[in-house]
Amino acid sequence: MATSGRAGRDDARHNDLVAFFLTAVGAALACGLEMLEAMAIVLAVAVSRRPREAVLGAVAAAAACGALAVVAGPLLVAQVAGDALRLVVGVALLLFGLEWLRKGVLRLGGRRTRSSSYAEFLEEREALEAVVPPPEGRFDWPGWTIAFKGVLLEGVEVILIVTVLAARPSGLAPALAGAVVALVAVIALGAVLHRPLRRLPETELKLVVGLVLTTFGTFFAAEGLGVHWPLGDGALPLLLAAWAAVAGALALAIARSPAPVRAGAGAAP
Amino acid sequence: MRTLRKLVLGETWTLPVGIALAVGATGALRLAAGDEGWFAHAGGWVLFGGLVLALAASVGRQRRR
Repeated sequence: MATSGRAGRDDARHNDLVAFFLTAVGAALACGLEMLEAMAIVLAVAVSRRPREAVLGAVAAAAACGALAVVAGPLLVAQVAGDALRLVVGVALLLFGLEWLRKGVLRLGGRRTRSSSYAEFLEEREALEAVVPPPEGRFDWPGWTIAFKGVLLEGVEVILIVTVLAARPSGLAPALAGAVVALVAVIALGAVLHRPLRRLPETELKLVVGLVLTTFGTFFAAEGLGVHWPLGDGALPLLLAAWAAVAGALALAIARSPAPVRAGAGAAP
Repeated sequence: MRTLRKLVLGETWTLPVGIALAVGATGALRLAAGDEGWFAHAGGWVLFGGLVLALAASVGRQRRR
């Protein structure tokens, strides 16, 4: 009896570790990739116009995102609880996760251009260089606005994903840990930007984010509907493997039926 | 508003509608099956199947365009 009790505790601890690891990886990758895209926009503004307005726009947007984070998390947990919270968190994760997964499958199948923050940086810089900056001494509002909007849009998605991951039971610590790791990594990459950014396999990393978010979404939505997964948190790796198999099969099926890449289908999430 | 919609619901309507249908159908099954019994153990895989169909439909729509 004592042995089976210890084995049960070991299993539970192992399952907790798996859930912690998957949450941290999902949060880190989602935050890191979104922040890379935001940084590409800010750098394009800084290089092609003025660094001061680029930084001020980015800081203002980061402050707005911080305010949203302070409000959104406690509001979500205060308004819904128990099975209803699991269902809301699950459906929100599915909305984000399946969209990332859809784009990832289309990219791997050759129906969308591959994701590249470096390419976005070059495109943004080229577009900005065509716009004449205001005379010296006057504030560059167009540059500030582009940096603000870029960071705000990417930042809001980061806040929503981290809030939802953190709202699940025991999700706060790994979600925040993942976000902090991503922040440090992106700043480190930014310090020595060009080459590392070009080498990142962003398409594959975004697919992993889609897989992790969709796995958690399926798990929590089902629990919110009254399902008791037979292995508890141990069902997470099984679900992850099942979603990976589905994504791989869909990408393969698409790749085998060739069609031209549509114009404008290259927007990154 | 359009940007916000794209941010939350994504670029297509197929996925959010598919998710709603999969979750709704699984919820209806739970009501029919009761709180215990087969649904409590296998209901998650029913939801998974519905979501796979939603993803396949959204990818298939883009593929045909």
